[in-house]
Amino acid sequence: MKVFVKCFSQVKYAVGTSELSLDLNSGATTADLETMIREKSAGTLDDVTLRIAVNKQYVSKPIPLDDGDEVAFIPPVQGG
Amino acid sequence: MIITPKELHNWVSTGRSFVAADIRPEEQRYHFPISGLEVIIATAENLPERKKESLVLICQFGVLTEELIVEKNLDNAYSLLGGVQSWEAFQTDNMDLSRWSRQTILPEIGMAGQRKLQDSKITIVGMGGLGCPAAQTLAASGVGNLQLIDGDVIELSNLHRQPLYNINDIGRSKVTVACKSLKKLNEKLTVIAEERTLDESNGQELLKDADVIIDATDNIKTRQVIDHISKTARIPMVYGGLYRFEGQVAVLNHNGGPGYEHIFTPDATGGDTCAEAGVLGMLPAIIGNIQALEAVKIIIGLKPNLSGKLLLYDGITHETNTINVGVNR
Repeated sequence: MKVFVKCFSQVKYAVGTSELSLDLNSGATTADLETMIREKSAGTLDDVTLRIAVNKQYVSKPIPLDDGDEVAFIPPVQGG
Repeated sequence: MIITPKELHNWVSTGRSFVAADIRPEEQRYHFPISGLEVIIATAENLPERKKESLVLICQFGVLTEELIVEKNLDNAYSLLGGVQSWEAFQTDNMDLSRWSRQTILPEIGMAGQRKLQDSKITIVGMGGLGCPAAQTLAASGVGNLQLIDGDVIELSNLHRQPLYNINDIGRSKVTVACKSLKKLNEKLTVIAEERTLDESNGQELLKDADVIIDATDNIKTRQVIDHISKTARIPMVYGGLYRFEGQVAVLNHNGGPGYEHIFTPDATGGDTCAEAGVLGMLPAIIGNIQALEAVKIIIGLKPNLSGKLLLYDGITHETNTINVGVNR
């Protein structure tokens, strides 16, 4: 299945792009995807809290993904 | 030329000779009668004749009459600013709100909304990149009371994004200078400067009287302190944050809605300050103004607002994403 990933703020700079299109095995979850994103970041997101939204809706625990889902990774930002 | 309700009232009280013409249609005159002023019923095509007297043209909101004076190139003619709407408000409580006539003409705001703004108190924590533009437009929009909290002094590197300060202000207290700049924008504004950093020891006392808190800080720890007070004191908080070309805005703890700890977990970490990550001056102006807009919407009760949502703005693509954070799956 194919999912679309949106990377915001620090995540965008950590993985080098704001959008990704990924082929995942059936049954993959948001937790699997987070692991992939953190691995891509080469450690730069180790100390960064990430919130995840699926189809613009926050999820508070890992959920299975469906084909065509849009998954957003949102870190807190400090600047003001 | 324009004349405000207060100035026109002075003309009446001092017995100045002038001709006032109400050019509104009959139905409007019926539903919104004008009081305390002798007027001639007229139309745009058929204005009253006069000799040397000034002519005051009156419509419902003061827009048509301004256009008419320009269109007909009328000499010694005045448009009543804010029209009958502002005149009647002045008759009621002696408050001249005509300078906000371009706002009060909006049905969602009106005189009732403007009065709510006038009576409101908004506290801004942090008078940097977000706080300056937010304070600027809130003061100009007619918010009656602002409280500014910041212990910092102005530095040269602040000036590109903090338009209340200039080169002569380097080394001076941000809140002190901001107060003076804001009073120039709106002399009716009551503004209180708190030259200290908000923390757990003073936060409760500083925020207790606010109707809305604007979080314009530059660190997560202070946000968490504000969030806790906002939640326990039931004072809504408008969060704003920046990272390079991106910004975030949310309305937090509004009518039991989610707070910062819900959006980013109680032990959230990450991000960099503007000093660390860099920031282009326009981005805080955009995000700070969205925060100010949400604060005004809360005060006047205009919905929907960003409660239960997180707005993400990208200054490069101009893409906005609104994430629903209110209900977790």
